[in-house]
This record gives sequence, structure tokens and C-alpha cells, in this order.
Amino acid sequence: MHLGTYRRIGYRMVLALLLISLTGCWNRRELNEISTVLAMGIDRADGQYEVSVQVVDPIQMSQKSNTQRSATIVYSEKAPTLFEALRKSTTSAPRRMYLSHMTFLLFDETVAREGIKQTLDFLLRDHEVRPDFNMAVAREYSAKQMLSLVTPMEVLPAMDLMKSLRVSAKAWAPTSAVNVVSMMQMLTKDGLEPILTGLTIAGDAKKGITSKNVAQPATFANFKYQGIGVFRDDRLLGWLNESDSKSYAYITNHVTSTVANVTCMDSDDKFVVEVLGAKTKMQPSIRSGKPYMTMKIDVRANVGEMHCMMDLSKPKDMYKLQTEAAKRLNQVIMSGIRHVQQRYGVDIYGFGEAFHRKYPKDWHRWKADWNQRFEDMPVEIQIHYQLGKFGKIISPFDNSPETRKE
Amino acid sequence: MASINHQSAFSDRLDLNIKSIQSIMGESSDLIVREITVMQQIRLALIFLDGMVEKHLVQDSLISAILDRVYDEMKPVTVHYLKESIIASDEVQLTASREEAMDQLLSGSVLVLLDHSREALAVSLPGWEDRAITESKAQPVVRGPQQSFTESLHTNTTLVRRRVKDVRVRVQTIPVGSMTKTDITIMYVQGIAGDQLIRQLTERLRNSQLEKVLEGEYIEEWLLKDKPRTIFPLLYNTDRPDVIAAGILDGKAAIFIDGSPFVLLAPSLFADFMQSAEDYYESYIYSSLIRMLRYLSLFICMFAPAIYIALTTYHQDMLPTQLLLSLAAQREGVPFPAFIEAVLMEVTFEILREAGIRMPRTIGQAVSIVGTIVIGQAAVEASIVSAAMVIVLAITAISNFVIPSYSMSIAIRILRFIFMGLAAAFGAFGLTIGIIVLVIHLCGLQSFGVPYMRPYAPYKADAQKDALVRLPYRLNTKRSRQRS
Repeated sequence: MHLGTYRRIGYRMVLALLLISLTGCWNRRELNEISTVLAMGIDRADGQYEVSVQVVDPIQMSQKSNTQRSATIVYSEKAPTLFEALRKSTTSAPRRMYLSHMTFLLFDETVAREGIKQTLDFLLRDHEVRPDFNMAVAREYSAKQMLSLVTPMEVLPAMDLMKSLRVSAKAWAPTSAVNVVSMMQMLTKDGLEPILTGLTIAGDAKKGITSKNVAQPATFANFKYQGIGVFRDDRLLGWLNESDSKSYAYITNHVTSTVANVTCMDSDDKFVVEVLGAKTKMQPSIRSGKPYMTMKIDVRANVGEMHCMMDLSKPKDMYKLQTEAAKRLNQVIMSGIRHVQQRYGVDIYGFGEAFHRKYPKDWHRWKADWNQRFEDMPVEIQIHYQLGKFGKIISPFDNSPETRKE
Repeated sequence: MASINHQSAFSDRLDLNIKSIQSIMGESSDLIVREITVMQQIRLALIFLDGMVEKHLVQDSLISAILDRVYDEMKPVTVHYLKESIIASDEVQLTASREEAMDQLLSGSVLVLLDHSREALAVSLPGWEDRAITESKAQPVVRGPQQSFTESLHTNTTLVRRRVKDVRVRVQTIPVGSMTKTDITIMYVQGIAGDQLIRQLTERLRNSQLEKVLEGEYIEEWLLKDKPRTIFPLLYNTDRPDVIAAGILDGKAAIFIDGSPFVLLAPSLFADFMQSAEDYYESYIYSSLIRMLRYLSLFICMFAPAIYIALTTYHQDMLPTQLLLSLAAQREGVPFPAFIEAVLMEVTFEILREAGIRMPRTIGQAVSIVGTIVIGQAAVEASIVSAAMVIVLAITAISNFVIPSYSMSIAIRILRFIFMGLAAAFGAFGLTIGIIVLVIHLCGLQSFGVPYMRPYAPYKADAQKDALVRLPYRLNTKRSRQRS
């Protein structure tokens, strides 16, 4: 190998080095140059958006931290649009807001009533935002107040909010963990109107935003998911109560597990069933030219708590309980549907979509005034209830003299 | 020295011959000339190098044999007579060329010169201090043969011969190196090893223009001199006789280098470097799992720091939120970018490691203590590097030791830095490009005509039985992997 070859290789290496040093690292950002936004709140104030972001103070996340500072910082800024407000926040924050890890988006009720589409555009368009965050509507309080709340369990309030929503949607049903993708679907699909869970503060909100809130076992204030908000298009119409919210969860197949109380047939006592799984099938049909909805619901449940005087070891009694529980569920679901039909008249259950699939031709005729049709639509429910186990004890233990005599 | 023509043959005068040898050797003090006169008129000289021959054998089979038996038999003394009847040694060569005689002298023969004879006898009585056969230090195993090669060529070939008792085992010795004249021995099994491979090897070795051969690497570079430049080792080296035995049974050629306890195998594939002898001595289930673990370690060792850099400087969105926050917390107050931090730590580790290898064993402990304190604790506490970086460094370093072949682990260590640079400049994008280039490079390599990445690429379904996994022997009877 003579000198020329070495020279050629040398040139190439210099070129490669230039390539790396001139073009590389153009959007590099070190971990200590970004502020991780965990939650965002959008309020309406003076005709502008007030965007609040909850960012993490990384020092507080390390185990060595011994300062008394809060683990999160809330920055908020007003501007006519979301993006502007967000960038404007750098005027008061030393680092750029990093949105990829946003887990929670909160609207205040005003924004929700005026329409949320405007705010979503930026969040879906920006490449940095990952469309998997959950959403909720702040009730009574502003989103900023919600984000400023000091929460007891998790160090980061946003995590607390997000996890609590997901867990409650799984184990308690009357909340719904709506993330931005399902929101988009609900907004764009015909015959399906969006919903969002409500979030409020229970207790003394003023004390809740200080660190004293978590200095003792019982907090002064804590957040609380409350009811499901019904939307027409992207505007909030109103709220469903707990029972109606549960009915919504059953119909839309969102029940993974929940509990429900049922009154005993021969007394005012109650028993509680733990629902282990529920599956709902919509079977749309047309009766005398009008839409008619039949729903088949399969429920598997166990006895969770028992106060009726019955002998559970007898299959007959179990069967009675089962019928009673099914009846109660029927009531809950029917009244939920009726309330939505009468009070709001918007199809949040996606009945329209089911018709769209089965009767596309008729659907196109109905599409324009679907919500009217939804209001008057008869709904029938067929429940297949399976009450399985009754737990470790058989009958409720009762030592009262009257019962012992029997 | 110039006055005496040492190209020439011997003269018929003993004193002249002795003189010329002495002058060729530059009056070296270890050149011993023992002159004997038999029956008052026949003069003989024994010439040898001190320390290169077995002295008591010189005494027994040469000096006393000549002195006693020549008197007894009363026959005319010629070199032929000496060779046939007197000298009690198994390897005696008659030579008329002084040059050849010198070569013999230098490799441990005793030259017997007879007055009035133009020929010399070279009696091979080599004997020098040798290291005993010890346990393998480079590739130790828990279960399996513990012997390792020594510096002595004969010991080494014997160690392999003893394991493969087959008449088809061929041994061929070629001296290489114009100055060192190192014996290079090629061992293979006739009929299993490809003829072309053997022809190619012997040709290359015969035509070598090397001056010195002190270790296998000299040979390796000569054998592969027209191959594409690569950082990967193309010849496997080991100090384990059992591995070499397995190699020649697989159709490879073993290349022994006199003076080095490391024996080369040709051709060698990437997969060979990822296997340990013990894979074959333990249960196939365990061996298969361990092999997969090794490939995982290879991946970690090559990419862990690069992935760390790419994730923390470009792709924070790829980390789980909690992990991101804890990494961010650790990086708080660290003054360097992640790349500088990583390079700093990796270089420190390389320094420590090199120091650990070169140091006298007795003070090795001191280095590891200093290393642990410097790298592990002080740097983190002083906020010069983050704790996560130390974890990455540690797992990288340990993974490196899992790779069974030292030559391969060196290649991986170097590549790691290249990938770190790519990750720092272009993130995961650069990393991907780097991996693609690496794979293309690996697939383009050949070791003596056999694709380096075989049996992975080109994919040989049959050979998968002993590649990433090792199937039980009853399912795995073919030895077709290496043959092209």
C-alpha cells in the first residue's frame, strides 16, 4: 500500500468527521435541558386560553433530595391559542416544555362547554405529543386549581390523577378512562357522541394546594372523579349521576369489574355482588320502519357481601339472588338510557354506529336527525346473569335471638 | 567474517571448519566446541550451543559413544560409520552444506565434524527448559479437560494427536521467518479438511516473506493480507487442545506456531468465537441457554452505552415516564452531555482494564480498589457522572467478559466507541445506520473462502443444530458447518 492510498483514506475520514460534526446533534437535548410536562390544564380566561402545565422538578425525584420544595411546578400562561401559550411559558420557566410524557389533559367546564376541538388540534398535530394521555373535565374548580392540588399517594399529582382514573375505570366502572385516541374516534364517528369523566376537588381546595395537605393522614382536600359528562359534538351538555354513568359503562362494554348492591326480596337488607366481567352485544333491528335496539348482556358475578337471611348452600336461593341481581341491573341500565334520551337526547352509546353497520342504507336516511330518533328509540335488554361463588362463609353470621329460635 | 565465505561447503580441514563456524557465530560465548582425538590421529569436533541441547545426552550418546566404541571396533572412522553405528540418537542428519548445518545448530542440534571430511553430522538433541502443561488461563472451563498448550511445538501437536487417534491426521511442518525460522505446523484430518484449504495454507506459508514469527498474529496477518480490512478476528486462536481437536475433526486446519501456546484454526466463523468448549461438555439445554445469553451479552456490550446516549439525548419519549424522571433526577447537576459522560467513563474503564492486565499480579488488588472507588463512587458523588451511566458502564464491562474469545471481545470493545459516536451525533437513526453497515460488513467477510456469518447468513438450516443452540448429540451428527 503506497502513500496515495493512505492519503485517500485520510481524506475520507476527514469528510466523515465533518459530516458528523456539521450535521449531527441538531436536535439534541440533554435530560437536564428539558422540563417534563406531566399534565396540562386548559382554562378559559378573558376570552383567551390559560394553559397550565404541571412539570416535574427532577431534583425532587432523586432519593437524595432533602429540600422542602414541591415535586412539581405549575406554570401557567394566557394566550389566544394553545401553542402560543405553551411557548410563552418559557418566559417564566428556564427550560423548554417537553410534552411527550404528558399523561393527563384537563379542561375546565367553560372550555368544555364552548368546545374542545380547537384545543385538541395542536395536541394531535405536534410531533412531540404522544396521543395516549387521558382526559377529564374539571368540575366546579378550574383546571389550574386541580393541577396545583397536592396529592397524597404519588409524589407527582399527575400520576395520581392518571392512575386513579385508570384504576377506578377498571374496578369501579362509573368513570371512564378516555384517552385522546378514543376521543378522536368519538368526535369523528357518526352515531357516537363523546363523553368525558368529571374531576372535582372534595374538601378545602385552598388548603389543598399547600404542602400541608399531605402532612397528616387525612388530607384537607383531594381530587375525586365524579360522573360522566355528556357531549354533543365537542360541547359539554351536562353530567350523568353515578348510576347512569355505570349504565353507560355497561352498555359500552367498559365494565371490567365493579360492585353493585341489590335489595333482598324479603327485607330491606342488601346484598352486594362483585361483577367480574360483563359483555354487551348490541343487536339493532328495524320494527315498523323505526330503529329498535336489543342488547344482550352477559354478566359474571360473585356474591361479595350478604345481609339477606338466606341459605346460600341451596341452589334455589342462589338462583333467586341471581334473578334479583339481574332485575336490578336491568333497572340501572334502563334508567340510565332513559335519562340520557330524555335529558340530553344525544347518542353517547354508539347505537347509531351499530345501525350504521347493520343497516347502512337506512342509516343514511336517519343520519341527519339521528339524535331525534335516538330520543324515541325503544330499547330492550336481555340479561344473562351468572352468579357464581359466595365466598368463604355460607350464610351471614347472625346471633340475634330471633333468628336462633328458628 | 567477510574473509570466510559461509555460503560455501565445508572444507576438508577440521580447524578451518571450526574457525569458520566460530566466525559466523561472531565468537558467541554460548558456542561450545569440544574437540576429541580418537586413536591418536582421528580428530573430531562436537559443536553445540550451550543451553539448547540436552547436555547429559551429549555426554552419553556422543562423547562416550565415540570414545568407547570407536576404540572397540577398530574400523575406519567416517561420518557414515559414525551415523550408522556409533551415535545413539534417533535424529541424525548428514549434510554437506554449512548453511544447513548452521540452521541445525541453531535449532538445538550438535554438529559432529570429522577431520578430512567435507560433510558434517547434525545430531538433534534439543533440550531446553520448558513450561509444564498447565491449566488454560485464557479459556478456562469448569467441566472438561484442563490441559493447555505450552510453548513447545512438539508438546502441542502431541496433545492434539493424543485426542484424535486416527491415521488420517496429517502433520506438516514449514519453517517460516527468515530470521526466526519458526516451525509452523499445520495439522488436519485428510478427507475431512478441504484440499484447497490445505493447499492454500501451505502455499501461503511457503511463500512468506516474513522476517520473524513470534506468535500466531504474525502468521494471521500474513495469511489474511489480501483480505478486506476488518476489525473482526478471522482466525480463531485458543490454548485448549480439546478445542483444536474438535476443530480438525470439523474439517478445519490447525496452525501451530513454535514458541506460542496459542494455536490457530482456519477457517473460523463468527459463530466459533461465540462458543466455548464447555458448551459441548455440559447438558445441551444449559449450553443452548448460555449461548443465547452470550449473544445477548454481545448486544449489550456493543450497544448499551450507545442506546443510553441515544435515548437520553434524542428519544426521551421512548422511555417510560417513571424511568425518564429518575434518569433526569440523576442527571441533574452533571456538567457534561451524556456522550462526554459515557466516553469519560468508558475510557477510564479501558485504562483500568489495561492496567490490570499489564500489572504485576501482586498489586492487581490495588488497582481494582482504586478503580471501584474512582469509577463507582467518587465520580457519582462529585456529580461528574450520573449513577445511571455507571450502571450502564458496569453492565457493558461485565458483558464483555462473557464473550468467550478474547479476540472477539476486543473487536466489540472498539466498535462500542464507534456506536457511541453515532448515537451521540444522530441518535437512534445513526445507530440503525451503523448496525446496517456492520451487518453488511460482517456478511461480506470470508475466512478462507467460507462466509464469516455462516450458518446465519447464508442461512444453513441444518447447521442451526449447533449454532445459536446446541441440540443433543444424537440429533447433531453432521459436521458440515465449516465446509464450503
